[in-house]
Amino acid sequence: MNAVTVLVLGFVVAFVGYRYYAKYIDSKIIKADPKRTTPAKMYMDGVEFMPTSKNILFGYQFKSIAGAAPIIGPIIAIQWGWLPALIWILGGAFFIGWVQDYSSAAISMRNEGASFGGLSHKLISPRARIILLAFIYFYLLLIAGAFGNVVVSTAIGLKAAPMAWLFLTIAGVLAGQMIYRWRSDIILTTAVTVVIALVGIWLGTIAPSDKILGTELSNSRVLWAIAAFVFCYFAAVLPIWRFALPVNYVASYIVFLGLFFGIIGVFIIHPNFTLPAYTDFSIKVGPLWPIMFVTIACGAVSGWHSIVSSSGTARQLENELDARPVGAGVMFVEMMLALFALIIAGTIYASPVEYGAAIAKGPGVIFAGGVAKFMGALGLPLNLGNSYGSVMMVVLAVTIMQLVIRFMRVATSELLSDISPVFRNAHVGTFIACLLGMILVLTGWWQYLWVLFGGANQLMASLALLLVTAWLMSEGKPAAWTFYPMIFMFITTIAALLYTSYSLLQKVVSGAVKGEALVGNTLMGLVGLFLVAAALILGVEGIKALNRYKVIKAQAATAKV
Amino acid sequence: MSDDEKKKSGFFQAVKEFVYGVAAHDSARFALKTRASMEHLFILITMGDMLGVPILPPYYSLRLLPYVVPQISTWKRRMLREKDLTDSLA
Repeated sequence: MNAVTVLVLGFVVAFVGYRYYAKYIDSKIIKADPKRTTPAKMYMDGVEFMPTSKNILFGYQFKSIAGAAPIIGPIIAIQWGWLPALIWILGGAFFIGWVQDYSSAAISMRNEGASFGGLSHKLISPRARIILLAFIYFYLLLIAGAFGNVVVSTAIGLKAAPMAWLFLTIAGVLAGQMIYRWRSDIILTTAVTVVIALVGIWLGTIAPSDKILGTELSNSRVLWAIAAFVFCYFAAVLPIWRFALPVNYVASYIVFLGLFFGIIGVFIIHPNFTLPAYTDFSIKVGPLWPIMFVTIACGAVSGWHSIVSSSGTARQLENELDARPVGAGVMFVEMMLALFALIIAGTIYASPVEYGAAIAKGPGVIFAGGVAKFMGALGLPLNLGNSYGSVMMVVLAVTIMQLVIRFMRVATSELLSDISPVFRNAHVGTFIACLLGMILVLTGWWQYLWVLFGGANQLMASLALLLVTAWLMSEGKPAAWTFYPMIFMFITTIAALLYTSYSLLQKVVSGAVKGEALVGNTLMGLVGLFLVAAALILGVEGIKALNRYKVIKAQAATAKV
Repeated sequence: MSDDEKKKSGFFQAVKEFVYGVAAHDSARFALKTRASMEHLFILITMGDMLGVPILPPYYSLRLLPYVVPQISTWKRRMLREKDLTDSLA
């Protein structure tokens, strides 16, 4: 199979899904009305609720949801063969992914911009809100751990990465200073700081970490884990304009340019897949069902998107008709990003043995290799391309990590400040979040951690679909288009979390793991079981709510008769 | 402007807005939220009694308290003393 064929298939699925399926739902079920006032216009406060052009929101939504997950997932999942991964990316995005993103924005837009906490309280039960918030806390912890692992393995596997990462950080801090303190022109700031970041990428090739720090330190997982979480610590504690935002600003240009030129490179080289279409149902990380369906998360369906769509985007839609291009359209673009990652994993190695050697070093190494190869088609030297790809991978991971750690700092303060006022301190909350993240990163096998993260993420998606289904039923609208995807995701993710938790805890109980692996397996296994318990409680509450709406609907039908 | 030119400028405008959305929209939103939180704090301090949270009156009273304490009993007697027309004769 040729890579361009995969991309063309992706375009076709995106076109049909957006132009026909999404349009049908938007016009016939949700009945988007351009004349109806959106929360952005109704409650316009120039801050949270602000009507914004759909083109800006398209970029904002894409930047918010495109992290490391649509890239890492397919790179791991290709171990089952590229064909099942391709079918899940295309089918998942077509039947579930865009449905979740779009409907999350629609439900919030039709409910005065309410967030999921408030909606779950209103539509399901008061207890559902508390459980959902606790679920989100542990889900974010898994993100910190899974993405932290990506950063560590990339820093070790690609020696150019640390220097490039350092210069990107310097460029970001300088951008913050220039924009907010020196009031410099934005174009000048962008040009200067992006050039500094690019210089750092080049410097990474001539001053790799093993030359500067020595082989032992440059291969130290502890060192790079500390570096990643110190980075997140500063991002969470410093004023956001000084560190987190400007680093994200500079990084977005690096990532955007890399993806743009990388995809052009795919069309130029148009390689064939060298890895097998299908290998085996069961592999080391687990069976194809349910594990592959949670390994590929964001490229097919992701609960993270529902949080962004409801709490961010829905409050800025200036027109109900914009929900489809922003919610559904961006999800299909994310699907293309996942296909790009699948193409990288499936085409740049001559054999499964070569791929196996690369994946042992981490998925970031594979991604960077792919970016290097495809940007090489445009004339970029391979070593520069590797350095570029490595910093893209690091940046895609840390931008989400720092947001997560910042959120966990606030959540720790809110949840634990009644126990002791010390938890109100920003440093204490951040330190706790970073410490928990580091423990996950340094203990246990990273592929299990990825599966747990994926499972939690997809479970969040099924909970979002449950909420939307409850709302649709309360409005008397057809709900099959969200109900059946919700059932599928719920069963699959519960099965994946149970399977992974069992695998982890079984090793602990049987004494097969010792030392840090014992700690890691125990922690991951217990977090997995907690998420399952929380999801089952929410599921029971959800079923009660759905039954309530069914009864109300039946009573209304009887009354009409 | 011809239709083609309008479409082209519309397309470039859309690309500009997309790039802004990717790179800078979250920074702009954060700056707005920061300004809003300061404004809201200012309004809370000055108008907090609308929400049942009196801040300014007790704050200034407390600052002036050390200076007026010696005269408070005299002030109270004067304000609350019964007055009549004959007070104006003396």
